[in-house]
Amino acid sequence: MQFSIIQLILGFISLFFLINRIIRFLKKERTQTGFKLLSTLVVWGGILFTSLFPRTVHIISMNLGFGENLNTLIFFGFVIVFILLFKLLSSTEKLERNVTEMVRKEALKDVIKKN
Amino acid sequence: MGIKNTKETKYYIVIPAYNEEQVIGSVIEELYSVGYRNIIVVDDGSTDNTYRKAAEKKIVLLRHILNRGKGAAIKTGLEAARLLNAEHVVTFDADGQHDPKDIRQMIKLLDDYDVVLGQRDFSDKHIPFFKRMGNFVGNFVTWVVYGLWVADSQSGMRAYSKKALVCMETTADRYEYDSEILREIVRNKLSYIETPIHVRYTTYSQKKADRQTYIGAVKTVIRMILAD
Repeated sequence: MQFSIIQLILGFISLFFLINRIIRFLKKERTQTGFKLLSTLVVWGGILFTSLFPRTVHIISMNLGFGENLNTLIFFGFVIVFILLFKLLSSTEKLERNVTEMVRKEALKDVIKKN
Repeated sequence: MGIKNTKETKYYIVIPAYNEEQVIGSVIEELYSVGYRNIIVVDDGSTDNTYRKAAEKKIVLLRHILNRGKGAAIKTGLEAARLLNAEHVVTFDADGQHDPKDIRQMIKLLDDYDVVLGQRDFSDKHIPFFKRMGNFVGNFVTWVVYGLWVADSQSGMRAYSKKALVCMETTADRYEYDSEILREIVRNKLSYIETPIHVRYTTYSQKKADRQTYIGAVKTVIRMILAD
């Protein structure tokens, strides 16, 4: 079976997100829940499957009555938007947490000094 | 900012407050009247006179220089209580909706449980439909995301033992904080119980500009689901 470059790129990206989430879940990181693992498996697993087995997905989509070319374009657009959304959300959250920690440290200054 | 603490350090009442100048004084007075003296108020960057009004009372008063949300303010209060060697902590809303008489029962339950969750009676007709609906959605999303079903996942009145205070690690700044506590109960295998509490939905608390809105609730759910 031969894969095109775009299939490989998408496959690696999906694998990265899948492995990352699975490792974090197995490490029992504080923020990881079964729901998040399941969401990642469904979303990124779906993208991985679509990239590696486009024909199977094509057959399914034809049976479901979807078109071809435009949907492929929409699919790639969806993947890019998804990656950007996750990254943006993640970095905003980190920034917000840092700000809160600074504000908290300032608020607790006197209590810490007293103890 | 001065630290005004009483000698008794067994338990603390933590009150997160944002723009509550109209009621913060009376809420503290009401707590005094039933014998609670160890009170920590966290002014969450209020733009009105909340800080000044609270400073008139003998309490531990902390101030966020920026508004960071209810969850962040509670966490600051819990952190302060931990630093002050509190054995038990009760969180209490600043808008006057909670009844201080419920605190005694919650503290008593901490002898047998790590966390006590206040449970509002949603069958009461006085509770607005928005609150009832919001609570059900909150319970459902909390159950799906964090795997714990409780009758009132969004209650602000809760009590924590020292063990819970030490092991809980939260990061949420806003209303999703309440659900994050439930995640910590599951993660740390803490024992918990829900206990009925009284609520007083006053015209003031319903008209408050910063109360949880429909759009805010949707944002909270999205943050809970998409948080990294």
